[in-house]
Order: sequence, then C-alpha cells, then structure tokens
Amino acid sequence: MFDLDLTKLGDLLAYEPSDPLLFGSSLFLFFFFAFIVFYRIFATSKNIRIVLILLFSLYFYYKASGIFFLLLIFSSVFNFYSGRWLFISASQSVKKFILVLNIIVNLGLLGYFKYTNFFLQILSDFRLGEFDPLNILLPIGISFFTFKSMSYVLDIYLEVMEPTNSLRDFSVFVFFFPNILAGPIDRASQFIPQVEQDNYLVSKDEVGKALLLIMSGLVKKIVIADYLSLNFVDRVFDAPLRFTGVENLFALYGYALQIYCDFSGYSDIAIGIALLMGFKLMDNFNSPFQATSVADFWRRWHISLSTWLLDYLFRPLQMKFRNLKMYGNIIALIITFVLCGLWHGASWMFLFWGLLHGLYMGFSLLLQKPKRKLYNALKLTNTKLLSVAQKIITFHLIAISFVFFKVDNFQSAFDIFNQIFFFFKPNVLSQFIEGYTPTFVILIVGYVMHFLPRSLELKTGGALSKIHPVVQGLILAIVIWICAQVQSAELQPFIYFQF
Amino acid sequence: MITDRLKKVICETLDLRLDDVEIQDETVANQVPGWDSLNHVNVITAIEKDYNVRFKSIEILKCQNIGDLQNLVNSKVG
Repeated sequence: MFDLDLTKLGDLLAYEPSDPLLFGSSLFLFFFFAFIVFYRIFATSKNIRIVLILLFSLYFYYKASGIFFLLLIFSSVFNFYSGRWLFISASQSVKKFILVLNIIVNLGLLGYFKYTNFFLQILSDFRLGEFDPLNILLPIGISFFTFKSMSYVLDIYLEVMEPTNSLRDFSVFVFFFPNILAGPIDRASQFIPQVEQDNYLVSKDEVGKALLLIMSGLVKKIVIADYLSLNFVDRVFDAPLRFTGVENLFALYGYALQIYCDFSGYSDIAIGIALLMGFKLMDNFNSPFQATSVADFWRRWHISLSTWLLDYLFRPLQMKFRNLKMYGNIIALIITFVLCGLWHGASWMFLFWGLLHGLYMGFSLLLQKPKRKLYNALKLTNTKLLSVAQKIITFHLIAISFVFFKVDNFQSAFDIFNQIFFFFKPNVLSQFIEGYTPTFVILIVGYVMHFLPRSLELKTGGALSKIHPVVQGLILAIVIWICAQVQSAELQPFIYFQF
Repeated sequence: MITDRLKKVICETLDLRLDDVEIQDETVANQVPGWDSLNHVNVITAIEKDYNVRFKSIEILKCQNIGDLQNLVNSKVG
C-alpha cells in the first residue's frame, strides 16, 4: 500500500550542503512539531528534555554541515575545560595564559576555515609568492558558535560568571539548535542558568509572543526579503548600468529592507522557537532604521554581535588607548569595526563596510561639540524636526554602507552610485511603480511596518495569547499558507548563513 | 557606599547636576544619563586624574557597577 522508497528517505535525512534544515522548510516544521510534542510530554523530566535538545541540535547541525558536527563537540569540550582551569587557577598570570591560549585556538580554527584563502590571495596579490587557493569548506555558523563559546571563557576571566560544573549543560548552550547557525550570539551567563532550572514553564503570554515572532519572522523572510531579492534587488545589483538612477536608488532602499527582514526574520524565528522550549534568547534587533545616529544604529542592529564586540574588543582597546583621549576612542572604534566587517566574511568589501562604519562614528565623535553648538544656536535641540532629520540621514548612511556589503567589487558599487547621481531620470518613477507594483507595495508596507510603535507588537502578542490553542494553530497555518503562496521559488538561504 | 567625591567627578564629566542623579552601589553605567560606551573613557580618566591614581585595564573591565568602581578607587587610595 505504501510504496516508500527508503533510499529517498535516507537522502532526505542525510547531510546535504545545499539543503540545511531551514526554519520555514516543511521538513523542519515536521521535525520541530515531533520534537516539541516529545519535549512537552517530558516537561517534568529535565534530564530527558536536555538529552532531546542535545540530540536534535546535533542532528540539525549535521544536516547542515556533515562531519563538522565534531568541531562543535570539540568547541564545547575545549571551552568547558578552559573555563574550569581558568577559574581554579590561583595566579593571574596562569589565568592570562589560559585565556590567551583559548583565544588562539578559537580564533585559529575560525581563521583557518574562514580566512586562509583570503590571506593566500593577499600574498599572491602582493607578489609575495604564488599560492593556489585551498579547498576549505566553511562549517556553517562557525562565526556564531565560536563567539558564543568564547564569551563563556571571557566572562569567567572578567569575573562576570562562575563556570558551570556540567559539560552536558554547557553543551546545550553551544549546540542549541535555534541559534547555532546564525545567532543570536547568546551569553553563557544568561543562558546556562535557564538550562539548569528544573521546570519547563511557558506561560500563555509567552506562547502568544513566540507565535507572533515565528509568524512575523516567516513573513519578513519569505514575503518581504525573498520576494524583494528575487524580483528586483538582485536584478539591479547584478547589472546596475542597465537601470536608471531611480531604479538603483530603489534597489538600495530595497536591499536595506531585504537584509533587515532576512536577518531579523531569522532571529525572530530563532527567538520564538526557543521561547516555545522555555528559553529566552537575547534580543537581536530593535527597529534599527529608527536610529538617530550610526552609534544608535549599532545599539539596535545585530545587538548580540555589537554588544559582544563592545564588551570583549572595544572596551579593552578603549582602555588601552585612553591616554589619547578622544583619538583613542576613534582608533578603538575603527579597529573594532574593521574586525566586525571581517567577521562577516573574508573579503575587501566586508572590510571596507566595517571601516566605513568606524569612520562614520569617528567623524561623528569629532563633530560632537560643533554639532551641539549648532543645534543650540538654531534652537533645534530635542526637537521632533531634528530627530526626524537625524533618522533620515542615518538611514541613508546605513543604506549606502550596505551597498558595499552586497556587491563583489568596488566597480559595481561605483556603478550604482554613478547611476543614482548622474543618470537619475526622475520621469522613470511612474514606469517603475507600474512595472514593479508588488515590489513597490512591499517596500512601502515593509518600511511602514518598521516604523510602527512597539506597543502595537506587544498588544498583538497579548491578543494572540488569549486565543484558544486550536485557533492559534489555525492562524499559524494560514500564515504559513500565505508564505507558501508568495514564495516564488525555493526558500532562499538566509544571508547570514554564509558568515 | 558611593562617596560624594566620586559622584562629583562623574557628574562634572557628564555635565549633570549633582542633585539630579541618584547613584547607588548597584547603579550601572548606562543608567546614568550620558554615560554611554564612548563617554565611558572620559569618566574613567577623570576619576584617575582627580584621585591621582592609575587603574589597570583589567581592573576597570571587571567592574560591573559603580559600587565596584568605588571599591577599586578605595583600594588604590587607601
């Protein structure tokens, strides 16, 4: 009766680099549903729940990265024992030695997989020798889980937390499937106590919040990001000279919205899924395009990475250079953001993107006093007008920087700006709206939603939590159905997976 | 217990009026208006200058709140 082809089933479940278990894919939804059913059955047994998380997480990672799940296990064991040895060492110099060794091993692994070919390319470019690129596969999510594990040892060194006694509990932190591939980069000090609590408690409000996050994440990813990318943004970025300035400008706005919806959509789903399992992950986004300065943007964009860099890189550098006063701050900012750029990927474009953000903030610091005087003289301080102007300027600085994030070389970026400034053709606007009506509507709706007050989100979550679970499931099914209708092709990989 | 002298240095650096801010042991930097990650270094150097002390970077990085900072100052002066 059932003509089940077991080899096909085996293929479906085995490691396939082009087919990770994407949130939103039917295979993931099927597995997650089964997982959460068992998880709830064993709500009162902490040990079984933890084993379930560990096994499912390892499988989830294996499906995306194959044999590299061994790297994950190494990362967990190595950082767990580093933390323990560091903590029990009495002498400060031994502690420092263990910390340095830990950083060398963690960053060494990250560097080998991610940057080897980039440096070989640089050596070749500067004619320091002839090097062929090595065939190195990048373990997916390595930048995220390396930083996550490092925060544990760094926090023990900085006396923010004491180490856990359980390698098993620490492994839950490292392997945790909702945030393993693309964050949020949670902190051990916030996460491990949640593993250690005995009861699995999820309130009705939290279920409502989780469902809202999962639904909004799916809509952001599939309806907004993937649609914009496939139907408009990629076309313009692939051949900017074939489009007028109007279209290039809209592609620039489109990409800013796309990358935000892609990445924050992923974070929303990750946070929502974790919440259904009784874990509270870090917030990762807070309406970043409402920022009034680039520094403010970084308090709202990829918060788990920006606070990581702030605590473990910027602050130590800032203290090192404090004799140089403001210039010390600027040097620390530029180093931090260049490395932040490189964290995203081994390329000159990412490096330049980071440098640009460092320079934005450096200049802003230099201009702080004259700006304050100017605003006071014009009586603009604390006015709505100033805040709106600051938001518009900041948004454009960010959107411009994302062009360098997206393109492969400076020439493409130059072409895009050249079209915008010297081949604008405003009369094309009406044709653009006519020819790309759905894109235009999604752009407008996407940005309007971004500027809605947060209280509305809280109210919607609250309303969802009061609905009967069957109706909740129905609403979720309808949202998934709508996403499936809009989905124009295969689910696109999340942009941040490549990091 | 945060001393008046430390409070005064903090408020002067951040252009705040002494009466407007409440600083307790548990207060953390970003609860004090204007004490953000960039201004942090100005507060630290002002304290070093006022007390004529020099902190190690790691000593400052370990401070979780202003109470810790007060203890650090005390350990250097005392």
